[in-house]
Amino acid sequence: MITASLPDRFSDLFATQSDVAALVWQGERLSYGELGELVARFDRALSGLDLPSDRPVGIRAKKSPQAIALIISCLRAGHAFLLPSVELAPETLDQLFAQADVSLVVSPQESGALASYEPPRSGEVHWPPPAPEDVSFMLTTSGSTGLPKIVPLETQAIDRFTDWAAGQFEITPGKAVLNYAPLNFDLCLLDIWCTLKHGATVVLVDQDRATNGAYLADLIAGNGVAVVQAVPMLFRLLIDEAKAGGRTFPEVEFAMTTGDKIPSTTLKELPGILPNARFFNIYGCTETNDSLVAELDLSDGPPANVPIGQPIPGVIARIEDADGNPVEGEGQGELIVWTPFQTKGYLKAELNEGKLVSVDEGDGPRPYFRTGDIVQRAPDGTISIIGRADFYVKVRGVRVSTQVVEQAIQEHPDVIECAVVAAPDPLAGARLHACVRKGPDSKLNSLVLRKHCSERLARTEMPSTVEIVTAPLPKTSTGKVDRNRIGPHQKGAEASG
Amino acid sequence: MDNTQKIKQFIVDEFMPDVAVDELDSDFDLLTGGVVDSLGLLQVVAWLETEFDVAVDESELGPESFRTVAAINDYIENAKGSTANA
Repeated sequence: MITASLPDRFSDLFATQSDVAALVWQGERLSYGELGELVARFDRALSGLDLPSDRPVGIRAKKSPQAIALIISCLRAGHAFLLPSVELAPETLDQLFAQADVSLVVSPQESGALASYEPPRSGEVHWPPPAPEDVSFMLTTSGSTGLPKIVPLETQAIDRFTDWAAGQFEITPGKAVLNYAPLNFDLCLLDIWCTLKHGATVVLVDQDRATNGAYLADLIAGNGVAVVQAVPMLFRLLIDEAKAGGRTFPEVEFAMTTGDKIPSTTLKELPGILPNARFFNIYGCTETNDSLVAELDLSDGPPANVPIGQPIPGVIARIEDADGNPVEGEGQGELIVWTPFQTKGYLKAELNEGKLVSVDEGDGPRPYFRTGDIVQRAPDGTISIIGRADFYVKVRGVRVSTQVVEQAIQEHPDVIECAVVAAPDPLAGARLHACVRKGPDSKLNSLVLRKHCSERLARTEMPSTVEIVTAPLPKTSTGKVDRNRIGPHQKGAEASG
Repeated sequence: MDNTQKIKQFIVDEFMPDVAVDELDSDFDLLTGGVVDSLGLLQVVAWLETEFDVAVDESELGPESFRTVAAINDYIENAKGSTANA
């Protein structure tokens, strides 16, 4: 058990583990000793900038050993730092840097020098913010709409998380851990920061080659990677590559999927390519970090509904029904969590409204996060996601999940894609409208679809209006169906076949 | 006179314009199928009253009477019969 805090660990690691590989990057191994030399160069560059100690810095950097060394340098100097995605538009980045009131935005250069610029100030937040103390990392949510929210994390919260993760996934000196996520993702708190804190080796995936299955397979096999945490896509890429090349990855001990629902087709094939691995589904978000974990027994095939499991020790998972009453034991409702790893709140305090709620479970009030996920708790305590709270609408006083309706429609073989939205109705409050894309030669019409749905849905779940189209549904920039652009504006539906 | 065809035409025009009249069976459950909900029912009643000149007693406005095209047809037959006898 490591008792030192993350910022304080590095002096020790640089000295005692100087020959152990800290990072593997583009075929090169960088030892803890070499990483220490790189950090020292950024220490000098940072101190040369005369940064004010009472304001944070902005870090604009893609994943690289230089970027990691710069973060270590900020941690050791006690600078809070905002680390947003470099993929964001320059104006969005500046809005975020302004909101965090950063004094300077720095980018690491290969040489160990720093490029820097002063971002605009907005006066929205005056540093230091009132609630959090000892903030180090400031990450952002991946919000699909609007400006990402800034999530300040205290060093102590990160220490509690990195110590839990190391114990849970046996991250010890000499172990190789894959880092698939981009540097600004909360997942890096496990793959990079827990790994370095515990003297293990981070095998960094180059973001530009993250969809290249052969590259990923070689990286894992070539570096003896024992721990892999990634979104389901990585596992799909590995399976496809392994099948084509007839290879397996016997060195992997822990495989953790997170961030998205993993398809059962992927789960089914995982034990074949990772014969010695234990499998986990991890549930969490930037605000709370990991909250629940499920170990998956895949020996008899994948479970029908992959659970998110049980709360991590120290985490409190509360399920609330539509009226905000706690659901004890078996039942369903919205998942609300408190974790020892969580933020004290968004940097912009007004964003906490409705998201962070004070709950007293008998030992004093604690701030819980509303996850927005509707979950089911089984008699044995195992929790599974059944939908998003955002998709629940009230139709004639009854709570209906538009996701459930979409799933029922989607089960018709002629349906390519569909979206169900609640249309405001002066009398009913809301009525369900379904927009359904059928195949070009399909004879599907609203009557056929209604017959299909009436066998699967409750009366209250039946769409009031059905629009059948052959053109693709409107999409957002991230490729999801844009439900804001779907509605019963066209009376009736397109004539079919 | 059998009004089934007329009723089907109205239901299709009003609630399922993408469907051919012949596809709608007389015993298809319009309520379970979500074709006619409680608000749609008011539209059906208003149409019946003007089209067939029948007065629909509000106490009889149970959904059962309008569950299928056949049921609506029976309702009209009965309503006309009782008007004639009055």
